[in-house]
Amino acid sequence: MSRLGPSRWLVVVPMGLLAMATVYPLLFTANVATKTRREYILDRFSLASTLRWDNLSTAWNSVGMGRYFLNSVIVVACAVALLLLIGSMAAFALAQVRFRGSSALALVCLTALFIPFQVIMVPLARIMAEGGLVDTYPGLVLAYVAQFLPFTVFLLTSYYRAVPTELVDAARIDGNTLYGVYRRIMLPMGAPALLSVGILDALFCWNDVLIALLMMPSAGHRTLMVGITSLRGQYSADIPTFAAGVLIAGLPVLVTYLFLQRQIADGVTAGATKG
Amino acid sequence: MSPVGRRAERLAPYVLVAPAVLIIVLLRLWPLGLGVSFSFTGDGDRNGATVGLGNYAELIGDPLFRTALRNVGWLVVLLPVAVAIPGLLATFIHLRVPGHSFFRSVYFFPAVLSPVIVGAIFNLLLAFDGPLNTVLGGSGAGPVDWLGDPDVAIFTVVGAHIWATSGMALVVFLAGFATLDSALLDAARVDGASLARMIWHVIIPGLSRTIQFVVVTTMIGMLTSMFGLLYVMTSGGPEGSTYLPEYYIWVQQGQMSRPALASAASTVLFLVMLVVGLLQVGLLRRAGRED
Repeated sequence: MSRLGPSRWLVVVPMGLLAMATVYPLLFTANVATKTRREYILDRFSLASTLRWDNLSTAWNSVGMGRYFLNSVIVVACAVALLLLIGSMAAFALAQVRFRGSSALALVCLTALFIPFQVIMVPLARIMAEGGLVDTYPGLVLAYVAQFLPFTVFLLTSYYRAVPTELVDAARIDGNTLYGVYRRIMLPMGAPALLSVGILDALFCWNDVLIALLMMPSAGHRTLMVGITSLRGQYSADIPTFAAGVLIAGLPVLVTYLFLQRQIADGVTAGATKG
Repeated sequence: MSPVGRRAERLAPYVLVAPAVLIIVLLRLWPLGLGVSFSFTGDGDRNGATVGLGNYAELIGDPLFRTALRNVGWLVVLLPVAVAIPGLLATFIHLRVPGHSFFRSVYFFPAVLSPVIVGAIFNLLLAFDGPLNTVLGGSGAGPVDWLGDPDVAIFTVVGAHIWATSGMALVVFLAGFATLDSALLDAARVDGASLARMIWHVIIPGLSRTIQFVVVTTMIGMLTSMFGLLYVMTSGGPEGSTYLPEYYIWVQQGQMSRPALASAASTVLFLVMLVVGLLQVGLLRRAGRED
């Protein structure tokens, strides 16, 4: 039941218009991606005369989006796997084990949460260059892990705090070492949290452009988002191919959103309500 | 347990924490200190030499950096809009406007898109010969050079940023509403309170913690996550009118090969964020106490 009373229709109409303003830019882009250049120049709005996949295959093959897509998938997969492994290990120890210095170490992780990338970008680039990590996959993966680890540790710690300590104690009485408890109890019990945090980390890495531009300057190593920005210059006259590239880059996110919207929202709100 | 085993157990929590702490200290905290010390050294020929506050003096004299700071001022001015829009939408969704769960899904969606994609889409829509101006022309209004007019472009980019990030704040607001006692809202409605009074007297005081969180995260977002939009939509132009500190840092570090100057700008950005954050928390605390 609506709690708004009869005035609710005064609200629904503007909200509906706003919803259209939210969806329309995406539909417009999708439509442009299936048009020919001629059709686009003649009429921006008309629906494509026939559903054509030429632009998508041009973008994927000759423009190099396929290569960039693969680069992004490799980097994001490695970064998320490392983030979840390193993050959950630290979060488990900080949330469930009493040891000397644990609150100081927790503070170190929390402080890092408030350092934006732009502030440390210059010295970080120099450190990475000295380590020979610029323009390498491990370098970009490491940069992503460093960037999103504080957030990952923070969210997973707040989740692991809610697990009853009796569970850990009982497992240790059964003869498990701390590593055993982590592997046999915390990892399986934390699966929903790992999924939620992992999706967010994957979105952050997939969507990033600044870190990728800084760490992967050469053309063959471009991630998908950097690839899109380079498309803009090259294909500024060929809008439909450009739109097709944008569509390719956005589609995985759209699919993720359709299936995992709840987990994404949970991750976003966990940071707000538990902080 | 054997003594060796016991020793291993005592060390275990440190082993578990070590990779995370090492990465964070080496690649987040250490660069922060390093950057501040870079900012007092020279670039190019004077690489490594101490120049005192020279870089900061150069920043103050640089019209581009001054524009970047002026634009930060605009962000502060526009902040209430960026918070009020998702706040109002969340209120209506919480009050179960018809179709509320549909609206929730639709409004949240742009929040998961990359700024690069958002920027690319808006580039298409807002091009001078693009669809929006075609519609405006058809309705008699003159075309607006959304991205080419120095007086307009920064607002266009901020608008795209708000379009893209409101969904994030919306979801946070809704989580806040979930903790609000719904009996209060019902009582207000039975008493015949108007929507405006309900928002002012029930929702704002009840959600003060959530509002505080959204205000601070929205401001941080405006200061640190508009790079992708700027890079794709305007590249800082026209005439440098859409520079923000983060874009200035990028340009000085990369194109201009002025890492020390960029470090000084980074330090200024960090200070701006600290001040803005502390100020807002302080103001909101006081407002909360007066209620």
